[in-house]
Amino acid sequence: MNFVAKLLRKNTSPARIIGFTLSNFIGLAIILGGLQFYLDIRSIWEDDDSFIKTDYLVVNKKITSENTFAGASSSFSEEEIADIERQPWVASVGRFSSADYHVSASLNQGGRGMSTSMFFEAIPGEYVDVPASQWGYREGSDEVPIIISKDYLTLYNFGFASAAGLPQMSEGLMSGIPLTLRLNSEDGLRSMQLHGRVAGYSNRLNTILVPQEFLDLTNRELGTGAKRQPARLIIRTSSPGDVAIADYMESHNLEIAGDKSSSSASFLLKVIVGIILAIGLTITLLSFFILMLSISLLIEKNRDKLHSLLMLGYDLKAVAAPYNVIVAAACATALVLSVAGLLAMRAYYLPALAGLGAETASVLPALLTGMLLTAVIIILNIAAIRKKTKAAWRL
Amino acid sequence: MNHIEAITLRGMLPAVFANESTPSSEVWKTDLTLRRGESYLIEAASGAGKSSLCAYIYGSRDDYRGTLLLDGNDARSLSIPQWQEIRRRHIAYLPQELSLFPELSAIQNIELKNRLTGHASPEMIEGWLDELGISARRDFPAGRMSIGQQQRVAIIRSLCQPFDFILLDEPVSHLDEENNRRAAAMIEREARRQGAAIISTSVGNPLLLEGAHPLSL
Repeated sequence: MNFVAKLLRKNTSPARIIGFTLSNFIGLAIILGGLQFYLDIRSIWEDDDSFIKTDYLVVNKKITSENTFAGASSSFSEEEIADIERQPWVASVGRFSSADYHVSASLNQGGRGMSTSMFFEAIPGEYVDVPASQWGYREGSDEVPIIISKDYLTLYNFGFASAAGLPQMSEGLMSGIPLTLRLNSEDGLRSMQLHGRVAGYSNRLNTILVPQEFLDLTNRELGTGAKRQPARLIIRTSSPGDVAIADYMESHNLEIAGDKSSSSASFLLKVIVGIILAIGLTITLLSFFILMLSISLLIEKNRDKLHSLLMLGYDLKAVAAPYNVIVAAACATALVLSVAGLLAMRAYYLPALAGLGAETASVLPALLTGMLLTAVIIILNIAAIRKKTKAAWRL
Repeated sequence: MNHIEAITLRGMLPAVFANESTPSSEVWKTDLTLRRGESYLIEAASGAGKSSLCAYIYGSRDDYRGTLLLDGNDARSLSIPQWQEIRRRHIAYLPQELSLFPELSAIQNIELKNRLTGHASPEMIEGWLDELGISARRDFPAGRMSIGQQQRVAIIRSLCQPFDFILLDEPVSHLDEENNRRAAAMIEREARRQGAAIISTSVGNPLLLEGAHPLSL
């Protein structure tokens, strides 16, 4: 039997320790649950686009009936681009360049063909987040990679295909179908034919994107040579989410393409999660004080015994150990309970979220947060215990 | 530290006596060296600072003037871990208030110390209990024993460690002469075996040691 622990745990109040464990459990469960719910639901708003990083913004001028009739240009002048580049939240600005020739695409599928007029645009390669092996164009090659808007596939599947009795196509299937591209110069005298390969679909680019070097080359060969100002810009921001961005867009009559993350619902979600985390943190902080006070009280009550053990030659570490064990056990229990609570809660809400199209996030961040908070509580309490036991050195 | 060979007091005086005129003393306000292997009987009236002296040497108090040296090391400069090492290996102490844990039995109180040092075998401990006539009380809670019985348990506990000095603060104040003699013989035997010094205090009922240096406080 460990006499030291038996002696020093006398006067332990199980009610106080259970009180701490419960309140710490509630606090942690609220924090972990709030965090996990936020991470799980976030994917509904923030549809990560694998081709364009989230700190890139695609910007164009708002088209209104006024400026259509007034004949105002929808393209950006050099002065306007220079003004955007001067904004503090801008890291770099890339220009969309467009094809200076006609494009028609056709695809053959089981004997039934379909042909459509198209257009091409390109942005500098540094803004496209696709491995170089799948993106880019070498002169002379008869295959060119393209990125198309996801909306086009939706339009085809639910609009055109169902009306024309054509089979619907998944992204993978579409990518496998050879696309024949015919490029004709304005005057119809020069032309070029090659294959298109769909390298990906984007939510945030409402265009048909080809590699910049391909567009430059074909513009030289088939274009009229007229210089055109870009109608769209891609901006890499140094501070995504900066309110100054929205203000600037508003005052200059610009809009951000595919911008769903700054919707008011997403903002509201963040506020609510913030409130929940604050409540959880407050409860956790209070539970920490409950534990610290009850351990301090316990040590105070057993101070004579502590002193006698130190007089016998027991180390400070040895006399602190029984209290450290209580702290660690109570904290670990609260952590285990709150993680179990988190998993139970998640099992309850995940099916509902899946119906909304959310992608499941990892539980690792919530687990690490819980472990970190528990570690902080344990370390602070052990430091307090050490201080208290040392005070028993002199009676 | 292999052994503490000498404990030296240089002009020591309890701080509370600083403003009082004290009668001449062989301990306070003098230079005194207590050596390993010797025996000392400190005789004094109540309130002369016997327990204070023990507490100073054992490191549990330092409210004194002057200097206390353990083999030349200033006692005030020793750290808590160093004191704990001294309490386990070099200086044994039987405090006047005994400091037994009343809820633990006699044998548990003894083991509480012996587990820390691993010094005495179970047979040795049983032999000592026998020798002081408290074998029958070994599993009794210390709190339910008489002061005399508790004193004998505390004497045995103080022997459960290697020591260079054993400090005994009025160790036999509640023992009859027969038990006093047995306790003295047991302590002397252990001290001699280890080449250690005995420092024992009393207010009129001294531990019956042979050939001890008498010192008056």
